[in-house]
Amino acid sequence: MIDAIYSTYAAFIGWLYTAGLQPALYAMGLMNYADDLYQWLDFAVFGLVGIVVSWVVCRPLEAANPVERWPDRGAVHTDMIYTILARVGILPLLAFVLLNGAQRWLDGTIAYTGFVPPTLETLFPLLREYPLLALACYVVILDFGEYWRHRFQHRFGWWWALHSVHHAQTQMTFWTDDRNHILDDVLAALWFGALALLIGVPVGQFPVILLILRLAESLSHANIRTSYGRVGERLIVSPRFHRAHHGVFSVGQSGKNYGVLLPVWDWMFGTADFRRDHYPETGDPSAPEGMAKGGWLRQQVLGVRRLAQVLVGRG
Amino acid sequence: MKLARTLVWIGFVLFAPSARANLIYVLNSGDATISLIDSVTRTEIRRIPALREPHHLTLTPDGRDLLIADSGGNELFVMDPATAEVRRRVRVSNPYHLAYSPDGKFLVVASLRRNQVDIYDARDLSLLQRLRVGDKPSHIAFDPESRMAYVTLQGVRSVVAIDLATRQPAWQAEVGREPAGITWVRGRLLVGVMGESHFAVLNPETRQVERQIPIGRGAHTIFPSPDGSVLYGTSRVDSRIIAINPETLEITHSYEVPGGPDCIAFDPEGRIWVTLRWVQRVGILDPRTGDLETIRVGRSPHGVFVQPVRGE
Repeated sequence: MIDAIYSTYAAFIGWLYTAGLQPALYAMGLMNYADDLYQWLDFAVFGLVGIVVSWVVCRPLEAANPVERWPDRGAVHTDMIYTILARVGILPLLAFVLLNGAQRWLDGTIAYTGFVPPTLETLFPLLREYPLLALACYVVILDFGEYWRHRFQHRFGWWWALHSVHHAQTQMTFWTDDRNHILDDVLAALWFGALALLIGVPVGQFPVILLILRLAESLSHANIRTSYGRVGERLIVSPRFHRAHHGVFSVGQSGKNYGVLLPVWDWMFGTADFRRDHYPETGDPSAPEGMAKGGWLRQQVLGVRRLAQVLVGRG
Repeated sequence: MKLARTLVWIGFVLFAPSARANLIYVLNSGDATISLIDSVTRTEIRRIPALREPHHLTLTPDGRDLLIADSGGNELFVMDPATAEVRRRVRVSNPYHLAYSPDGKFLVVASLRRNQVDIYDARDLSLLQRLRVGDKPSHIAFDPESRMAYVTLQGVRSVVAIDLATRQPAWQAEVGREPAGITWVRGRLLVGVMGESHFAVLNPETRQVERQIPIGRGAHTIFPSPDGSVLYGTSRVDSRIIAINPETLEITHSYEVPGGPDCIAFDPEGRIWVTLRWVQRVGILDPRTGDLETIRVGRSPHGVFVQPVRGE
């Protein structure tokens, strides 16, 4: 069954590429990027599959047992745009086009120093024999990195100015996961890039697991009145756990529950809120109205404006 | 675990059908694995985890080791080609394409993503020279006397010649948009011009493109048959393999091979094994009949190698 799904998926990607994208690249004189854009196509289609899976799982749950009901879901529609831009790979593609040359220059410069970036498997050779275990280790380490990036997003005023776009949403749903300011996304990519220099990037041959991880992140933002129970709440970030983080009294430096996938970091560093009956309203009361209700572009502009205000000391 | 795997492998070798079978290596660059295929049963008998992104491979001059270059993982896997056991791993900066000089003294490695070409001592793989070259160094060829290494520079429409005595670039010549594969053929360099629809025939003496061999959009790379009597070139956009007479450089045959044919290897029975880059398959083309069969492998299969291993 899974084999048939993989075969069908491969045939579909192959058809899309050979019948559509590759001839277009050739016609535009862009064959230099043929390999990269094949990977992007895979990323984009996989991203679309991820959106569908998230929708199929999360939407019925949101409809059945919501924390909040809204007569007008306009703000949710804006989050859909964020999701499509991020997961279908339009923003990653833009970053690739703009930064590809710089990336190669940087990689070459680092290589010239004699430093060859390691991977977890080179540091711990046992992991070579167990790629699934290697992936699990990457997930844990990268999630630890995400926890601290998230804390810094709340700790530094200039970073919070950008991250507040994510928190301004008063109608939080599973679509909210990708609602980020572009500059915030760039900083996240740099953060990840720095970590990757130290431990490498994770293996990518387990797409189903990556899909499940992505689903877990979507689910954590879902408008669902549910917790994972006394034990489950401590194993993986639940909708209840993450809603507490998005609560109106949890913005900026007063935040709780920073964990992205694993709550254990909040537990360890004293930022956890495990109250299982706590479903606060979400949003950032100090954010301008447009940051919550405006369209994608307006939110981006307001994010930059808020950043500028902080930088000149008026935020 | 390793012991169990070795036992399974030994059992497989001992109890496999007695028919003459070759072991085919396919590098799945998109999902960091190596597929091992039995050429008789036409089945994938084992999938070996690589590190991140294996693209190309080469035999050592003595034929004892198979070197698999994992560019994303910054490693060379040194494998026993007969058993696929990993003998050792060598930390190397972003190895994409790699080739030994014909005299066996140097291993030259092109790093597509770091704009660098490395020259290693073939005996101990110590780095002798790291050269910063133009955008996207892609594939490597040599002259038979090992005086020069020629590297296509995909991003700057050129081939750079590197003097192996001084280990410095000697000259650079423009050949066309996005050059990829390159092969030395009777005093000329044949270059797959991927952004166009032909192979460029570059004269290394005059440094001029003397003629073009039209093969189809996305001309990619060229492989001589083991006896040198035919050159086989691939076109990744029009998806075909072209047979070329090495004497006249005239096209003698064209085979339609859907899926983006990329790298080629030949088995002792005269069949062509070709990675079909965009459809997660490897193709087996019989050039005598034109029959094509495909086998499913991993994502974005790239390098391919045939090891005659059993029933010999």
